Amino acid sequence: MDTKVIDSNKNKIFPDFRELIRYKDLFWTLSWRDFRVRYAQTTIGFLWAFLQPIVTLLMLTLVFNQFAGVKTDIPYIIFAVCGLSMWTYFSYVMTNSGVSIIQNQDMVKKIYFPRLIIPLSKALVGLIDFGITIGILIVLMIYYQIPPANTIFLAPIFMLFGILSALGVGIWLSALTVRFRDFQHIVPFFVQIGLFATPVAYPSELVSTRLPKWAESIYYLNPMAGVVQGFRWSIFGGEPPSNMILISFTVVLLLFISGLMYFKKVESEMADYV
Amino acid sequence: MESETAIKISNLGKKYSIGTQKEGTLRSALANAFKSSAKKGEDFWALRNVSFNIPRGEVVGIIGKNGAGKSTLLKLISQITKPTEGKIEIHGRVASLLEVGTGFHPELTGKENIFLNGTILGMSRKEVKSKLDEIVAFSGIEKFINTPVKHYSSGMYVRLAFAVAAHLEPEILIIDEVLAVGDAEFQKKCLGKMDEVAKTGRTVLFVSHNMAAVKNLCSHGILIEKGEVAFNGSINDAISKYNSMGAEKKLIFNTSDYKTRKRGLHQIFIDSVQINQNNYLPSSEFSIQLKIAQNEGFSGKIEISIFVFDQLNNTIFQLSTYYYTTPIFYQEDATYQFHLDKIGLSPGFYKIGVWLSGNGIEQDYVEEDITLEIDSGNIYEIQTANISSIVQKEFIFSVLKNEKY
Repeated sequence: MDTKVIDSNKNKIFPDFRELIRYKDLFWTLSWRDFRVRYAQTTIGFLWAFLQPIVTLLMLTLVFNQFAGVKTDIPYIIFAVCGLSMWTYFSYVMTNSGVSIIQNQDMVKKIYFPRLIIPLSKALVGLIDFGITIGILIVLMIYYQIPPANTIFLAPIFMLFGILSALGVGIWLSALTVRFRDFQHIVPFFVQIGLFATPVAYPSELVSTRLPKWAESIYYLNPMAGVVQGFRWSIFGGEPPSNMILISFTVVLLLFISGLMYFKKVESEMADYV
Repeated sequence: MESETAIKISNLGKKYSIGTQKEGTLRSALANAFKSSAKKGEDFWALRNVSFNIPRGEVVGIIGKNGAGKSTLLKLISQITKPTEGKIEIHGRVASLLEVGTGFHPELTGKENIFLNGTILGMSRKEVKSKLDEIVAFSGIEKFINTPVKHYSSGMYVRLAFAVAAHLEPEILIIDEVLAVGDAEFQKKCLGKMDEVAKTGRTVLFVSHNMAAVKNLCSHGILIEKGEVAFNGSINDAISKYNSMGAEKKLIFNTSDYKTRKRGLHQIFIDSVQINQNNYLPSSEFSIQLKIAQNEGFSGKIEISIFVFDQLNNTIFQLSTYYYTTPIFYQEDATYQFHLDKIGLSPGFYKIGVWLSGNGIEQDYVEEDITLEIDSGNIYEIQTANISSIVQKEFIFSVLKNEKY
């Protein structure tokens, strides 16, 4: 018999991870629902998942490579798709987690479950798109006959940081949007400028060579700046990233841990605010 | 003994700030961050100093007027929101049905929604799978189980939703008014299921306005009034306490400010109106009393009419001294009363208008502020409460054989 005590005077700092594991089926089901519903009633259905990154990629190549003349060591399109994969994942999770709690408000108001499951499930669904862009990357690497560098074994670590970063921001935003609907308008803006503030379409050398040191360290406060650069380096090798990316990784960890704490703090009263 | 208790509540309280609409904005949060002791909005205790124990296996009815705090109590017990003060101890797995169909997605098929809803309600996918056939059969919509639920009728939707909920196997079940849905036959099925749950020794908390259902299902009653426990004991005592609560007379209108009223000559005018209760059930007695004052030495015949309007301003019925064969003469110190044994109106809000004439000339008309609130139920005091008509009539039914008409 499980006993639960709800005490108004006791407040935990971190979410109950054992409880989260108990609710793993809900996590799977919600993720599956999002996936199932996403392309419902569309004519080409799942094809959208391929079409979007391909078109974005072609646009980036056209604008940055052909028009602006950004030069890269490897064919530009491969360069771009690698950064795009991480960035798309991040922006998907950020956008969808942000509104996830208010979108599911009928559930939140009527049933108890660890609310964290909702933004977490968005992070899982985002992995599908991530997988697709990685698939495109692999196809292009085979086509251009570019072998992966021997640092490839580090790629999962950078991916993990990418996921943590997306989750950290997503968890923060989902909790904040419940209280302050302003964030619904802030997030699309973040996504828009984030694409340019992250070395997705241009190499990070441009940043280090053209900006003063202090401005560069501000640039790396963007958690994804370090993640994207590191991920790309782990796959293609070349000049290892500077110590600056440590700023990004510290920000990722801080965002993630503080996100969990803030979420826990407001979780129990979300039903009163949505 | 500890293990005999299912729920133990001590000094529970929940505070809301009135006017939170503004507090939820970024601007005010930023502003408050700089003002340390900023003036806060008014506080409202939806629930305060609530303590009780619910023994294992008890079926408890929680009753009280709208806004008394019943739903807040359930929300706290089912952990949807956090108490401001006090403590709740729960021994056993809780499932709450604050509304059926939570999390249903219109694009998904019936079967997919069973899985979705089941896991939201706390079942594992494995559990749902093992009960799937049973759930589908209970819902009675086998044919459409692979159709997206957006194509369902509302009746089918509710059936499916309740079917999932009915197959939960928690140790403690919390139910809020789910029975107010579906047709009579389906309601019967649901009540049967609830009865079954109760008989297997599980603890049930049931919130309803349907006194007949509460009386039938529950052994124990807790009456909540203005955020506090007003009574805790046998269900019959709780219900009679609840019924007597509304029995205080209510003065709705008392002014000689007739001059602001446009209609009538005001030689005589309506001085005060009183109705016999604050809250009515469809089966409640209804009486309305009025006092009439005069401006100048008035004498002669008067006529009084009482109109009952619904919220769309349709006249539902009219009581009038016109239909009375004996004429009524004005007496200054008299109280005039209309009485109905049963008010016979379906749950909802109604408005009353009082019209007065003297010696054949319109004298006064009052309509503002006289409202009637009718709580759930029906005049027949049966469980299946959904009566679609506005007016409920008592009748005699007979089966006649070998008779001509």
